[in-house]
Amino acid sequence: MLKLRSLTISLPCLLLVACAPAQPVIDEQMMRIDGEMPADLSGSWERDYSRGDDINQVLRDIYYYLSRTSADRAYTARPGPVQPSSKDFESIRALARLAELITRPQVLTISQNVQEITVDRKDDFSLLCAFYDGVARGTESDYGTEICGWDGDQLVSHLVLPDGLQVTHRFTVSEDGQQLRIVTTVSSSAARVPVTLSRFYKKFERLPPDFNCIETLSMKRVCSTGEIVL
Amino acid sequence: MTARTRILAFLVVGFLLPGAAIAQARDAAALNVSISVFDPGIPDDRALHRDLKIFPRIRRVEARFLPFVLRETLVASGEWGAVRVVTGPDVAAEVGISGSIIRSDGERLEIRVRAVDATGRLWFDQVFGSSLVQNERDRDPGTAPGSPAIYDEIEATLRAARDRLDDRALGRIIETSLLRYATELAPSAFGQYLADDGNGMFSIRRLPARSDPMLDRIERIRLTEYVITDSVDAKFRELHEEIASTYALWREYRRKSLEYDRQNARRAEDTRSDAPRGSYEAIKNLYDNYKWDRVTAQEQDRLAIAFNNEVGPVVEAMEVRIAELEGWVEAKYAEWHRLLEEVFDAEIKLNRAGP
Repeated sequence: MLKLRSLTISLPCLLLVACAPAQPVIDEQMMRIDGEMPADLSGSWERDYSRGDDINQVLRDIYYYLSRTSADRAYTARPGPVQPSSKDFESIRALARLAELITRPQVLTISQNVQEITVDRKDDFSLLCAFYDGVARGTESDYGTEICGWDGDQLVSHLVLPDGLQVTHRFTVSEDGQQLRIVTTVSSSAARVPVTLSRFYKKFERLPPDFNCIETLSMKRVCSTGEIVL
Repeated sequence: MTARTRILAFLVVGFLLPGAAIAQARDAAALNVSISVFDPGIPDDRALHRDLKIFPRIRRVEARFLPFVLRETLVASGEWGAVRVVTGPDVAAEVGISGSIIRSDGERLEIRVRAVDATGRLWFDQVFGSSLVQNERDRDPGTAPGSPAIYDEIEATLRAARDRLDDRALGRIIETSLLRYATELAPSAFGQYLADDGNGMFSIRRLPARSDPMLDRIERIRLTEYVITDSVDAKFRELHEEIASTYALWREYRRKSLEYDRQNARRAEDTRSDAPRGSYEAIKNLYDNYKWDRVTAQEQDRLAIAFNNEVGPVVEAMEVRIAELEGWVEAKYAEWHRLLEEVFDAEIKLNRAGP
């Protein structure tokens, strides 16, 4: 079960798979930081439903785009609008459903220190971006490879799964640090175009807890109003 | 009577007793054994920790905890003299055991163990491994958790190595041990008795007289140091007592976690979708396979933090106390070293001056 493949070996493959034929989603420069993290994303964030993409509109736009590009290709044979194939559209709709599922969390909790950023999401795994000695180190398992980096002050998390399925999140925090935008792109080698959804979050302060709590193994969660002495 | 008072009382009595009372006849086969705190086997490259599923803080606790389990096994065998856990290499140990943790998860424990006697003879250097799952299944309900078959195997290997030596060789080990200790402490007086071949092998050139007052002093100092070492050893015992149940729980969780890994693999296999490539069912399945794998790994991280929350304060308190004891020994050792060299110098001058 335990796979010890070095990420440094597989990384070039990842970058190739992730990006061909365009620019890599994450290049080597993005995987390096010099000193501090370029932006502070830490805090509790709740979804701002007044902003962000509507999945139906996104699908309509893609449908329109596919009609146009199909029409362009078919123009010489038969001018005029062309319906995208049902197979094309099924695969796009599948990506859209997955994108909607992945971007569903109402609340995100992001913790950040000098070398790690963790994005905790309800009903999903936590995204982890860890830098050791200033270099991002990914996570690799039998089921996929996750890597991250900084594109300017945007945090980029990129997940490559089998069958050419890829999920990319771009996190951008506003200048005042109160708004967070996450652009999620889901693509697949089975679909002609990717699906991209934007979600917006507002920062909120959690109420200070009435109790100090820590997790233990034998006593589970231990809480106290004062200092915890085990 | 507190531990500190007991130590002071022993020191006073120890220095007042005549040397003959200290030098007791002993069974040569019951050699004293010093077990150094294990090398936790944590790779320098921190990025490998996740890949290898190593939790550094827990490994460091295990490096202190596991030698004590081995100590208990050796003591229980009744085959050995004093068995002590020491924080650093004990160069003058009659038998010195060092170890390095190669693998320690909920399923398997692998330790590389090296045993060397005071003459520098290598008894063995080999990897011992044991399936903890099998062991837990076979374990008698009355025995302490954390005493898997691996320790019995190490003890048996140690005993087999010792049994290959005759009484004379065993006696040499005891003598060499004392002379190496004496040479460390008073090289001017004892350096001449030992020969070092440069490759870590020591042989005795000649023995000092049993009535040698310097040797008598050395023996008394060594006994004093043993008292302190035993106090350090007692700290390891306390650590063992305090964290044994939590450690057993941690191991149980790790074992379960490895089971989850296997379940994830089975689930991924079972749910391998016949749905058309690119369909929602197919891509959601791919995403879920990765998701559950990560959720399992992150749960392990959470448990590691919980373990550390629980045992961290105990380990820190123990380390502070051990540092105090070792600091005391180090200071005394320097003082003893200086005093013995001065005494030896004075004795030489007196002998030269004649009656």
